[in-house]
Amino acid sequence: MFTLRRWWDRYRLQIVLASLALVSAVALRETNSAILYETYQVLTRPFQSSGEQDALLTNARVQELQQRLLELESQNQQLKATLGAASTPSQPGITAPVIGRSADHWWQHLVLGRGQQDGIRKSDIVMAPGGVVGRIIEVTGHTSRVLLLSDPASNVGVTISRSRYMGYVRGQASNRVVMEFFDKVPDVRVGDTVTTSSLSRLFAPGLPIGVVESVDLNKSPAPEATIALSAPVSFLEWVVVQSYNPPETQDSTSPDL
Amino acid sequence: MRRESLWDDWLKRSVPRLMLNCAVTVGSALLCLLLSPGRIPGMQLAGVGPNWILIWVVAWSIRRSTLQAAIAGFVMGLVQDGMTSPTPTHCIGLVVAGVLTARLRKDRYIQEDFISAALIVFVMAIVVETVTAVQYSLQGNRPLGEIWTYHQFIALSSAILSSLWAPIVSFPLNQWWQRINFLDQKYQ
Repeated sequence: MFTLRRWWDRYRLQIVLASLALVSAVALRETNSAILYETYQVLTRPFQSSGEQDALLTNARVQELQQRLLELESQNQQLKATLGAASTPSQPGITAPVIGRSADHWWQHLVLGRGQQDGIRKSDIVMAPGGVVGRIIEVTGHTSRVLLLSDPASNVGVTISRSRYMGYVRGQASNRVVMEFFDKVPDVRVGDTVTTSSLSRLFAPGLPIGVVESVDLNKSPAPEATIALSAPVSFLEWVVVQSYNPPETQDSTSPDL
Repeated sequence: MRRESLWDDWLKRSVPRLMLNCAVTVGSALLCLLLSPGRIPGMQLAGVGPNWILIWVVAWSIRRSTLQAAIAGFVMGLVQDGMTSPTPTHCIGLVVAGVLTARLRKDRYIQEDFISAALIVFVMAIVVETVTAVQYSLQGNRPLGEIWTYHQFIALSSAILSSLWAPIVSFPLNQWWQRINFLDQKYQ
């Protein structure tokens, strides 16, 4: 009895502390460490960015750009009218849901949930928020298949909108495409916007495609630039199909330049 | 009990059995074809999903003759060609996969049914993608480096995913086919 008493006197503190630790650990475990996360949240509050401010700033910027675009478009219309250029009336497109992708990984297709019955025809242009994504290659009654720009088989004539240097883009099976220039020393910089060229037979001219991400001027046989597509091709849910009648061509197998 | 006996009675007769077997076979093939354009969330790896068509062809070929396997691969290849693009064709890859699966000495090398399907699908996915890549290389309208870099990416992700999802198709189908086979022999 005496030895037990002495043992208790000696280890009392350790035992109490250890049991406290155990109990609190069990409690934390049972509550899924809620207190810890709450504390963490309070401690990191000064470092958290407030989403509202960001959203407000972005909205303001988007509005500014929209207004400037509107202004430029109307100016453009006026100038074209003065010049007497044939204007193409813009028609509202057909909105179509994306219901599937290619049935194989070597192709980059979209399957749309609208078809012939809704007025979609072969070689119509498919647009998404951000720019062109591809064109219709197959139509059934209620579905249609889109060949994406990112498909290695799709070659599209494009132009650098700042310097008007031309080339064509080749798909890379991702959100990037490679642009090959026709000139040896093109004037191109990172950040330039790329649009479809007026020489393109498959697409109407002047549609936005993407932004130059990197340039390789020493590439043989022609200089190349990597273009990031501005439309989010990998997670599209809706697209807009615009009707387009390509000009008649004699040789349909040659790439579109 | 009564329902079960009715069902058994029905399965004892050879014509309904044949019809039911055909329906199950065609239905499962159609289901696999319909699954392939979908990219179900949580079922894809970097935008690549399982190769359902290959899974079905392997499931079919595991316990069948070389000829049957080749025909199945060819049929599914044709349908897949229709769903994507006929050049380069999928038929060659799927026929090769089917024939290899049928010729494999499974009884000797691989015992467990569940694992074997997954393993075979893993290897066959790589075979199928390689056949396609070789066809592209022979066509010669794309840079070789691009084709083979992309091949590595697709072959690996498709092999992993397809082998993971293979048992879901091949296990019930093979159970069904075994049962039908057994009944066929019992009630000639």
